[in-house]
Amino acid sequence: MKTSRLPLIAMLAACAPLLAACGGGGEQKALRPPCPAGRLCLEYGNSGEPTTLDPQKANASWEFGIVSDFMVGLTDNDAAAKTIPGMATHWEQSPDGLVWTFHLRDGQWSDGTPVTAADFVFGLQRLFDPKTASGQAAQFYAIKNSRAVNGGKLPLSALGVTAPDAHTVRIELEHPWPILADNAAAPPMSPSPRHVVAKWGDAWSQPAHFVGNGPYLPKSWTLGDKVVVEKNPRYFDAAKVCLDRISFYPTTDAVSAERRVKRGELDLNTVVQSNRVNFLRRPDQMPGYVRVYPYVGAVFLTFNLKSVPALRDVRVRQALSMAIDRDFIVNKLFRGGQKPAYSFLPPGMLDYDGRARTYWATWPLERRQAEARRLLAAAGYGPKHPLKLEIRHRNTADPTLYTPAVQADWRSIGVKAQLLSTEVQIAYQSYEAGDFEVADAGWGGGSDAMGFLFLQRSDTGSQNYGGYKNLRYDALLDAADHERDLKRRMAYLGQAEQIVLDDAPIAPVYTIASKNLVNPNVTGWVDNNFDTHKLRFLCFRDAAQRRAGRG
Amino acid sequence: MSAFGPELAPGSRTGAATMRSAAVKGRSLWDDARRRLFRNRAALVSVIVLGLLVVAAIVGPYLTPYPYDQVNKNDVWVGPLSGDHLIGTDSLGRDLLARLLIGLRVSLAVGVVATFVSLVIGVAWGAVAGYVGGRLDELMMRIVDILYSLPFIFFVILLMVTFGRNFILMFVAIGAVEWLTMARIVRGQTLSLKQKEFVEAARAAGVKPAGIVARHIVPNLLGPVVVYVTLTIPAVILAESFLSFLGLGVQEPLTSLGTLISKGAQDMELAPWLLIFPSIVMVVTLMCFNFIGDGLRDAIDPKDR
Repeated sequence: MKTSRLPLIAMLAACAPLLAACGGGGEQKALRPPCPAGRLCLEYGNSGEPTTLDPQKANASWEFGIVSDFMVGLTDNDAAAKTIPGMATHWEQSPDGLVWTFHLRDGQWSDGTPVTAADFVFGLQRLFDPKTASGQAAQFYAIKNSRAVNGGKLPLSALGVTAPDAHTVRIELEHPWPILADNAAAPPMSPSPRHVVAKWGDAWSQPAHFVGNGPYLPKSWTLGDKVVVEKNPRYFDAAKVCLDRISFYPTTDAVSAERRVKRGELDLNTVVQSNRVNFLRRPDQMPGYVRVYPYVGAVFLTFNLKSVPALRDVRVRQALSMAIDRDFIVNKLFRGGQKPAYSFLPPGMLDYDGRARTYWATWPLERRQAEARRLLAAAGYGPKHPLKLEIRHRNTADPTLYTPAVQADWRSIGVKAQLLSTEVQIAYQSYEAGDFEVADAGWGGGSDAMGFLFLQRSDTGSQNYGGYKNLRYDALLDAADHERDLKRRMAYLGQAEQIVLDDAPIAPVYTIASKNLVNPNVTGWVDNNFDTHKLRFLCFRDAAQRRAGRG
Repeated sequence: MSAFGPELAPGSRTGAATMRSAAVKGRSLWDDARRRLFRNRAALVSVIVLGLLVVAAIVGPYLTPYPYDQVNKNDVWVGPLSGDHLIGTDSLGRDLLARLLIGLRVSLAVGVVATFVSLVIGVAWGAVAGYVGGRLDELMMRIVDILYSLPFIFFVILLMVTFGRNFILMFVAIGAVEWLTMARIVRGQTLSLKQKEFVEAARAAGVKPAGIVARHIVPNLLGPVVVYVTLTIPAVILAESFLSFLGLGVQEPLTSLGTLISKGAQDMELAPWLLIFPSIVMVVTLMCFNFIGDGLRDAIDPKDR
């Protein structure tokens, strides 16, 4: 009976925690994979299954979690995500801020060949190569000619990145971009081993062929099970790297991952279901594990303007947005450190005053609901002709919790919404392909306002999920790009954000808090606004004992 | 057990008619089966409990004070017997009793409809293959083998992609997979039935093959088929839980027993009632079906005891 076997397993899985709970105080033995004697192995709950291990193609937080230690870029991050020198020991900018020169140290690829400036040039060319189709490329359009190269209008060689000699990388910019050094630490700007990519093509990033210059390298990738990375002895600072092996598990089910952390099966997990944070902080649960920290990230609903005619009407979009009871979602449903969002950008953006708000931000819910009904009626929707929509959402913990609340809020203004739960990596692929009506999405990282606002540019491509297009908005972002004066640049960006809020191609819902569950025995995990945690700083408090063979 | 063999169906005109006229007030084999079934206490209790559950699933959702999908923002995670939510609310403040009843209705509906689909296809397919035999039998059973080898989830996803996401489609999908085993059982039974004397008699009397299958083969199959049906329903309810868990089955705010349990298991330390009550209902339902299935098998085919 092939049909009943799978459900039976699902049932057993559902019952397993129940049995464990009924078993009394008897601790289950942790199911950690064996670790070679004298070595240190960490089991890492990583919230999602990666779709790629290629640093230039990675686009999701759980992919960055793995790949950001495969390569060392021009700059690097310390444990608190501050920018520190990476492969470049020092760098300088020209007086007008348009040319940056990075000076490289000696370094080796993991196959022994030296890392040269040409590898950095090649890495950036790959990033903007239309054939790579990187979802991250648009964030680096400040680099000279990159937009045209990425659009296929100029050859790769036209890119403003050159290597005057083997130890110097020169980056020309379209406009001053003071955060270049910070962004240079991100995986998309990392070098690529030319000789390996030439030999294997796209397959170069498979664990069997991968060559990197970072502290860790992929060893194996079992789909749906785990990605194993091991220490790279040729990394230039290898002596300081503590852990020998790290295994990443795609833990979409946050609650069962939480139990695995509790049992010691996982050392950490990068997601906690919001409404469990207070519970886990109780003294009899795992108070020392919970790490909640503000994160510069936003969760919003995107309306598909390309394929849903009803959503092309701004009145409909505003009505849908204002009907969402964000206070309920954040303060009653989650209770996990998030904040209700009435602006596109989360608070805490560098140098940005963040005064843009939806015009109804201060209205009480009843007034917003009444206004939403009025707007919908004006747009031609009512009890006889209700608006019907489908909300596609990620199947991770928080979206699964809050989307039914949105659905109920919309029902109260007469909108019939269906929910469609989708595996998180498939969800983002569908958004990028425009295959949704309303999409629940999150965006994070980066302290510069442009890192968020570029999402709604008409020429951003697949990352502008809903296909929003407003030329005035694009023009403001262009003006900001070419503005030298910081204050005026921020003023342009502020106006642009207000346009997004007035046009409402997205409905902001809440600002994210990073929520990690980290065994107190793990050291080197420093909470920071970007939720960036470089693997090479991680270690165990009892590392010496473990090495001696007890663990 | 020659003349009184279980193959004699109540409606079969060949042997039963003569037997009936012999005894003034005879007992049909079905009467015997019913008596045996009702003497089986577990089965009898199960029939009653299941009947109550079915009534609750049909009528219940109209009687609860709250609709199953109403979000009560002030009643989040209310425990059982506090306030006017009899068995508590979930994280969105939705009344668990209402959700449990609607979940039971969905699960039972999926179970019954999908089983019916599998019954119709499976019996027709198996009876024809078994009775006609030869090349056609080979062909039809190889088709079954091929479909068997298709992974269930893959098949469901294919259906979803082709026809779009649809609640009805789930019934069809599960039913369309469950009929395979049914077809095999029916074919096996048919192969042995068609050797029997009454079939030969019918053939000699000039009854057409279609008539023989419909009048003589299928009625005599009912015993094993009914037993298998009672075992299929719980399997289908479990399959639905599994599909919903993967996001392929029912979607929020509609729910099913399986969905309620998988959500409840996540919050069991915080709100144990979300796991306990759906689990009890699920276990009781599945046990009822299994007891009835066991009882029916013993009643219809006492040889197997």
